[in-house]
Amino acid sequence: MKALLLLALRNIFKNKRRTAMTFMAIISGMTGIIVFGGFIEFTYQGLRETTIRTQLGHVQIYKKGYSEQGIADPSHYLMDNPEQIETMMSGMPNIKMITRRLTFSGLVSTGEKTLTCKGIGIVVAKKEEEMSNFETIVDGVQLEPDMRDGGVVGIDLMNALGAKVGDNLTLLTTTRDGTINGIDFKIVGVAQTGSQEYDSVFIKLPIQSVQKLLDTTSIEKMIVLLDETDNVSKVMPLLENIIKEKGLDLELKSWSELAAFYHKVVKLYDGIFDVVRIIIAIIVLFSVANTMSMSVFERVREIGTLRAIGTTRGGILRLFMAEGFLIGVLGGLLGIIMSILIAYAINISGGIEIPPPPSMNRGYTALILIIPKVIFHAFLLIVSVSTLSSLYPAYKASQLKVVEALQHV
Amino acid sequence: MGNKGKRGVVILLENVTKEYKLGKIIVNALRGIDLNISQGEFVSICGPSGSGKSTLLNLMGCLDVPTSGRIHIQNNDVTILKDGDLSRLRNRTIGFIFQMFNLIPVLNTFENVEYPLIILGISKKERQERVLKTVEDVGLSNFIKHRPDELSGGQRQRVAIGRALVTNPKIILADEPTANLDSKTGIEVLDLMKKMNEEHKTTFIFSTHDPKIMNYADKIYIISDGRMT
Repeated sequence: MKALLLLALRNIFKNKRRTAMTFMAIISGMTGIIVFGGFIEFTYQGLRETTIRTQLGHVQIYKKGYSEQGIADPSHYLMDNPEQIETMMSGMPNIKMITRRLTFSGLVSTGEKTLTCKGIGIVVAKKEEEMSNFETIVDGVQLEPDMRDGGVVGIDLMNALGAKVGDNLTLLTTTRDGTINGIDFKIVGVAQTGSQEYDSVFIKLPIQSVQKLLDTTSIEKMIVLLDETDNVSKVMPLLENIIKEKGLDLELKSWSELAAFYHKVVKLYDGIFDVVRIIIAIIVLFSVANTMSMSVFERVREIGTLRAIGTTRGGILRLFMAEGFLIGVLGGLLGIIMSILIAYAINISGGIEIPPPPSMNRGYTALILIIPKVIFHAFLLIVSVSTLSSLYPAYKASQLKVVEALQHV
Repeated sequence: MGNKGKRGVVILLENVTKEYKLGKIIVNALRGIDLNISQGEFVSICGPSGSGKSTLLNLMGCLDVPTSGRIHIQNNDVTILKDGDLSRLRNRTIGFIFQMFNLIPVLNTFENVEYPLIILGISKKERQERVLKTVEDVGLSNFIKHRPDELSGGQRQRVAIGRALVTNPKIILADEPTANLDSKTGIEVLDLMKKMNEEHKTTFIFSTHDPKIMNYADKIYIISDGRMT
């Protein structure tokens, strides 16, 4: 085996120029896969964290049945004693913040213009800032605990209403028992999250204002924010256990179960990434197959000699496949080095400016993440394709007739 | 059939014919050859170009199969063997020396000589000993790390002789081994082959069209138009 690999290795470097060209194709392919993979991984992470930190949190806690029936009949699925849960969870590891939410859909009016909106009641406190990290206040200020009649409005909704900071708006909705109710609030700030869908409907108010509007003292759900997104799988079972042990009438949902848009984006990008990988694999396949075919053609007499001195057909097949395999391994390793260098160069130079994606109203600066899983898969793909592409030339070489091969000039 | 199984006979050909298709024409390269060669003989097959020398050597070397007739190598009928068995037979029993030397260009002298032993599955230590001994026998101890393109024609043919000898085969077939060498070097190579024949009792069969060369042999077969004369 060692002798086979040594002979294969020497043969690879016999024609240095051709091997260099093959390596170039493999290195370009590897770099394409790893850098693109690093870019989309950055995009996934960005979208995931934005979704979690502006809307969903890592884990949501509701009254049991809320996720199935709550939309049709919210008044029956409200939580009455959030303090009890907060006390229970305080001091648990990995939990950074627990807060409350009460939402509603309704109308918002300046008096002249009336639009539909989605209101979110939040607990205005220092700790809530964790959830606002991905919001940018483009005008005015963020909600403060003393702004009991204040509210922050999404930038696109603000523009549609033609309102400005300091204006008073009226909210109208139906209370949980079905009567129409309204409150006024003062715009203290204008926020942008990047998601156009969100920025064109959302109004953020102190939870007390929303409770007043909905004529309730309950809340809809609790949002738990963790220190790291990766810890969701660790914390969820702990929370489930507590709920079970205490016999609480609650249910949990992780961010992943709620983030339909995120999963759609991941599916779309994964599909694009697969196409990129297939194209690159085909280019590498033809490149290595071409090199191996030329190598077989040039070495017909050598193949005859090897056969004459006792190498079996299988031995010839293994020799040429070993050459394809080694081209893949060496080209792949060089590709990894090159892609890491390019990723560093891109990141050091400040990343790539990406225009706003569909349904977003601002672009972002993408960095290239070096993801070991992406590198490993790219390497595996390239080595497999390279070995596979040497299969046919190797088979042809093994089937040469010894006498004809020896007479080849 | 009389010689089949006879002690000392290493190659036995019985009414061997070989036809080639050249376009639409069938060429009768060998037209019924009967031949037996005994252990330790130094045999020359002579004839003009196109007489069938190489075809005969290829058949004796199990590199090709006859159209009809039987070939026995060490009492084994090789015409019924499969490709894998023929490869193993070549590796263990037959050594080849080619007109164009046919060394593996990416391997040095040591490695070229070592290669048949690797196929044979010999341990590294034993390979080392046998290769060094063989390289010394063919007078190339100072050229062990040289690759073929760093050697002269005569040196290359010595490497080829070493590669053919290293497995201690019963038979060495040499197809015009001196044709690509100047006459002085050609004679040196023949002297070396003769010496190895005497020392190892290996059967040497070489083809040539050169009457001066053919006289080195103990036994000379003349072939013409595919027939022994």
